[in-house]
Amino acid sequence: MVENVKPPSIPRYFLFLLTLTGILIFIASTFSVVAAMGPAQAADGATVFKEKCVGCHTIGGGKLVGPDLAGVTERRTKEWLTKWISAPDQMLAAGDPTATELFNTYNKIAMPNLQLTPDQVAAVIAYMGSGETTTASSAVALPPGDANAGRAYFVGDLHFANGGPHCMSCHSISGVGSLGGGNLGPDLTINGYSKYGAGLPAFLASPATVTMNAVWKNTPLTPQEQADLFAFLQEASVSQRAPDTLLLIAGLAILGAAALIGLAQLRWSRRLKGVRKPMIERTLAAKKR
Amino acid sequence: MDIRAHVSMVFHLDKCIGCHTCSIACKNIWTDRKGTEYMWWNNVETKPGTGYPTLWEDQDKYKGGWERGKNEKIHLRLHNRLGGLTNLFYNPYLPTIDDYYEPWTYDYENLFNAPEGDDQPTARAISMITGKPMDNIEAGPNWDDDLGGSPLYARNDVNLDELSEGEREQLNEIERVVFFYLPRICNHCLNPGCVAACPAGAIYKRGEDGIVLISQEKCRAWRMCISGCPYKKTYYNWASGKSEKCILCYPRLESGQPPACFHSCVGRIRYLGVLLYDADKIVNCASVPEQDLVAAQRDLIQDPFDPQVIQSARANGVPDAMITAAQNSPVYKFVKKWQIALPLHPDFRTVPMLYYVPPMLPVLAKMENGNYDIAGLDKENLPAMLSSLEKARMPIKYMASMFSAGNVKIVEEVYRKLIAVRIFKRAQKVKDYQPAEVEAALAQGKTNAEEVEAIFRLTSLPTYEERFVVPPLGREISIEALERPLDRKQATGFGIRSQTPKREF
Repeated sequence: MVENVKPPSIPRYFLFLLTLTGILIFIASTFSVVAAMGPAQAADGATVFKEKCVGCHTIGGGKLVGPDLAGVTERRTKEWLTKWISAPDQMLAAGDPTATELFNTYNKIAMPNLQLTPDQVAAVIAYMGSGETTTASSAVALPPGDANAGRAYFVGDLHFANGGPHCMSCHSISGVGSLGGGNLGPDLTINGYSKYGAGLPAFLASPATVTMNAVWKNTPLTPQEQADLFAFLQEASVSQRAPDTLLLIAGLAILGAAALIGLAQLRWSRRLKGVRKPMIERTLAAKKR
Repeated sequence: MDIRAHVSMVFHLDKCIGCHTCSIACKNIWTDRKGTEYMWWNNVETKPGTGYPTLWEDQDKYKGGWERGKNEKIHLRLHNRLGGLTNLFYNPYLPTIDDYYEPWTYDYENLFNAPEGDDQPTARAISMITGKPMDNIEAGPNWDDDLGGSPLYARNDVNLDELSEGEREQLNEIERVVFFYLPRICNHCLNPGCVAACPAGAIYKRGEDGIVLISQEKCRAWRMCISGCPYKKTYYNWASGKSEKCILCYPRLESGQPPACFHSCVGRIRYLGVLLYDADKIVNCASVPEQDLVAAQRDLIQDPFDPQVIQSARANGVPDAMITAAQNSPVYKFVKKWQIALPLHPDFRTVPMLYYVPPMLPVLAKMENGNYDIAGLDKENLPAMLSSLEKARMPIKYMASMFSAGNVKIVEEVYRKLIAVRIFKRAQKVKDYQPAEVEAALAQGKTNAEEVEAIFRLTSLPTYEERFVVPPLGREISIEALERPLDRKQATGFGIRSQTPKREF
């Protein structure tokens, strides 16, 4: 009977389209990040090493976060190296004895899966065997850092020159307020200087983890910023979070809730609590008197 | 001058017998759906009484209607903009279901299915909310009339506040007990509090006839209209999540029929007609001091025979059929020409378009020698009937509180005229008044024989066509250009949710 029902009005479509567009933009941007990391560029070993490895390793420049790679092609077989560089997480999970030993030696910081293509892996192994040497990219030349400026960069009071996001959007650390920072990345109170030690500046210069690398590749920190942040992390990063912080957060939450409830009680203190029953009770009470 | 047409109403309280036929007609057509069990778009109250919902007239509690501020402008009593925002998710002035009543039905099946036993089976009351038997029915839609009991309910009537302690005590004496009925529907106000309070913009007043409606598509269940309406004539449907109210049976008006409650009225107390009013005067009309409210409202209504008024109405697109109806309108006669119908609670400042002819009040009588005696002259040497206003059991202040925002003079004038009609006709039929007394009554009522005769005819002997003077409304014809009226009819209205947007988040 109802053959000609009015089509839904435009505004409802509009909201749907808006949501759809938002989702599409999100997906597209995610893909572009992945695309920027993955595809086979010219497999130039030196470039790959500079982009992906120097955050943790040197060749002949000493230990950083990870071991000095001078002579690594002689210490390990090519097969092992290829497997390790391609998928260190899988090897660690499989319990490879060499990998486990390295993991324990180097402060239990796992080497991230850098998602290199087989071409890139071959190139970087060739580069490591070629006798070239590198130094820690930043540690050598870092100017003196200012912990206060580092703190300002961390919490976002100062902006990074190249437009990178301030650390607090993903990380928390002691000394940036009771509520801390973001939860997307690890808490740097425990995972900061106290874990990475002297290797930290190199990591800051070229973060090796997939997430950090994607974020910082196009917006690198300047040497002064690295130095300031390093100084701040050295100061604020402790191996344990101060035990009262959790209590403080819990206390704040309880106080805040109590304040809100109190405010609501005050705001709606004159609300209508029924009319008929109170009227009857009032009248009956008056009669008794 | 901005002349528009309004389908308006008069209820003649002297003719109401309190039979609730109007309520049942409305209930059967509109509110027998799920979620509407407790609603009575049309209800009949017993006065003095606390009404439905309990104490609806007490705006200190419910915060309905408008208030005149110190700057002589009106504002909603419910909230200002900021207050509205902070109360958006929690409206603190809503009546509870207990303030209406817990709706119930009876277990009729038990009368047929009960197993054989020593006692007659009974039909127990079953709550329509919980589905469980109700052992204690504590309130109903007209509890004042049922067995609610005056001492508990009627004495809390807010209109009694104006009376002195002594006057109130006298009302409870056995010889003086007095009551009358007050049928109520939506007033379809010119300055509606419900429309002003709605945060969703879902309530609107139809331009061509002034009927106030809640869009079932736009309503978002904020329920501010329920608080905003001082008459508590919008209701929340818990099943559909929308508010609903009297629609003046506009589908019936479409074909020129009166609303169901008007049509079914046994006492024929209801009149329906068109008023032409000046929209430019609405703001002023709602903002004047209390004692001037009724006069301002009368001033709002324009003479439908005035060529200038007709011209302005035509310019606003009022069809000729509407103008002709306005010229024959019984409402115009009661409200403006004869000035014997008054708005209910003009002090709420919503400019209601439903008017009431107040009931003739029973007079005091004395018991002498086993007979009631109302005859005899009072100290001003007036015959008993003439002075019956002074001898009325219900103090005139009570009526003034209900119908003229406390202005006793206006109510007195109405009653003087009604008494004049009574004496004039009694002199004709019973012949126990002398011509001089009739003349005195007419003079006191500021009326004349011709007018009295007309009032009598429209009160006592009106035909169907004289009581209901509205042309068929042209809604269906006027939407033809945009959509198919039959499809529209089938796809809109209460409970039809195909057009209702779903919650997005």
